[in-house]
Amino acid sequence: MPLICDKVAFTYPGAELPLFTDVSFELAAPGFHSFFGPSGVGKTSLARIITGDIAQFSGRVATDGLANLLYSHNKERLPGWSGVGRHLTRVIPPSMQAGIDELVEIFGLSDCIGSRFDQLSMGQQNRVNLIRYLLQDCDLLIMDESLANVDELTRERIILAVKAMFPRRYFIYISHNVVEVARFCDAILVFRGRGKTPQTVMVQGCNIRTKDDLSRAALDATLLEIMNAA
Amino acid sequence: MLPRRVFQFLIIYFLFLCGLMALKYGLALSDYVIPAPVGIYHTLIAEYRQYSLATMNTMTVAVIGQVISVGMALVIGIAGRQSTWLGSFIKVAAFNFQAYPIVALAPILFILLGDGFLTRLLIAAMICYFPVLLSVLGIMSKPVDDIEHFYRVTGRMRWQLEVKIRTFENLTQLTTVIAGSATLAMAGTIVGEFIAANAGIGYSIRIALYQSDLGKILIALFLIGITIAVYQALLESLGVVIKRAWTGR
Repeated sequence: MPLICDKVAFTYPGAELPLFTDVSFELAAPGFHSFFGPSGVGKTSLARIITGDIAQFSGRVATDGLANLLYSHNKERLPGWSGVGRHLTRVIPPSMQAGIDELVEIFGLSDCIGSRFDQLSMGQQNRVNLIRYLLQDCDLLIMDESLANVDELTRERIILAVKAMFPRRYFIYISHNVVEVARFCDAILVFRGRGKTPQTVMVQGCNIRTKDDLSRAALDATLLEIMNAA
Repeated sequence: MLPRRVFQFLIIYFLFLCGLMALKYGLALSDYVIPAPVGIYHTLIAEYRQYSLATMNTMTVAVIGQVISVGMALVIGIAGRQSTWLGSFIKVAAFNFQAYPIVALAPILFILLGDGFLTRLLIAAMICYFPVLLSVLGIMSKPVDDIEHFYRVTGRMRWQLEVKIRTFENLTQLTTVIAGSATLAMAGTIVGEFIAANAGIGYSIRIALYQSDLGKILIALFLIGITIAVYQALLESLGVVIKRAWTGR
């Protein structure tokens, strides 16, 4: 059940120039993949095309066999009328509830589970939002800057835990942190600057699963490849 | 909140009185046109009881009218929030109806229903209704995407939840609109009474007008103003209590 995009093109309504044209790639297997590139090149738009939030595009997006495609981003908020813990219990399906405590612990949120959302820092808010998406029954989760404002060590712990806990799920991680993307991601779709052809290039990331996996030479090579592609 | 509202009203009212007195003594107008402060005081003593009861009568109609109009505005506003044919129709109809002055329709109501309680209530409710409806429609039609997105993509969104989110996010605006609509309901009731009713402070003002008794009108204005100030302060306090209970702040 691969995810395939074939010659996908998108133009904002009313815009003269297309945001991107002829974007083609295939994610053959589940894993922690990424969209990487400068701001405004269409990463979020492509993500929303894949999850069906944007319907006016040309080309083909095949998600056959993938049920429940979710898109999450870092600007989301929880309703303010209840505490974080109560909200998570209410929106997470019973079959996934067992994972709440584990993820809360890994995500470093044990101390603020009784707080309301607006009492949390931005990094804590993003982590809470990500937990409720992770514990949904889905085959693909797009994380658009979902770990913004989170410190580097916690981000590393979270990404490694997510990869270990959900090995059969597709993830598309949108981030501007090139080192993070190069270290943790499997397939990296690099969006190139405007006017360049082709507009995207697929690069293989290091895809580490533990802290100790990383080879310095492999990381350097991946970083070089990404920077050359961009 | 209550003392501030009352204090604000008293300042405005006494500034208005000072302006009238400046006009009276500046232009040497007779007591028949603008009564002297002593004359106003005597009128207050003489009419205080009757005018207070009339104001309470008007206020009762205004409060019932406001409750009805806010209830109706919430129901229609919630029904009209969607981008469906019905939602668009309700929005267009609300905008067109509110452009028509309700006061101009009042005589029709008096002809059809007489000059009793029901007519006053209808006029109060109609004058109060459309501004509240437009605010509710505006609030309910505007998605709170950063909260609603999760519920939509996970298939959990229900209309009750949508209304709850939008109400919660616009609670301050809603309570302000509802508190403000008290003035409209009172104005509507007085206008109705002024046109043709047989009770209420508007009716008393009409009689004072026929008698060219500015003193009585000034007393009526004082009682109307102080009553609205107290009522609005109570509504605002209620809004604060609801907000505190719901948001925990």
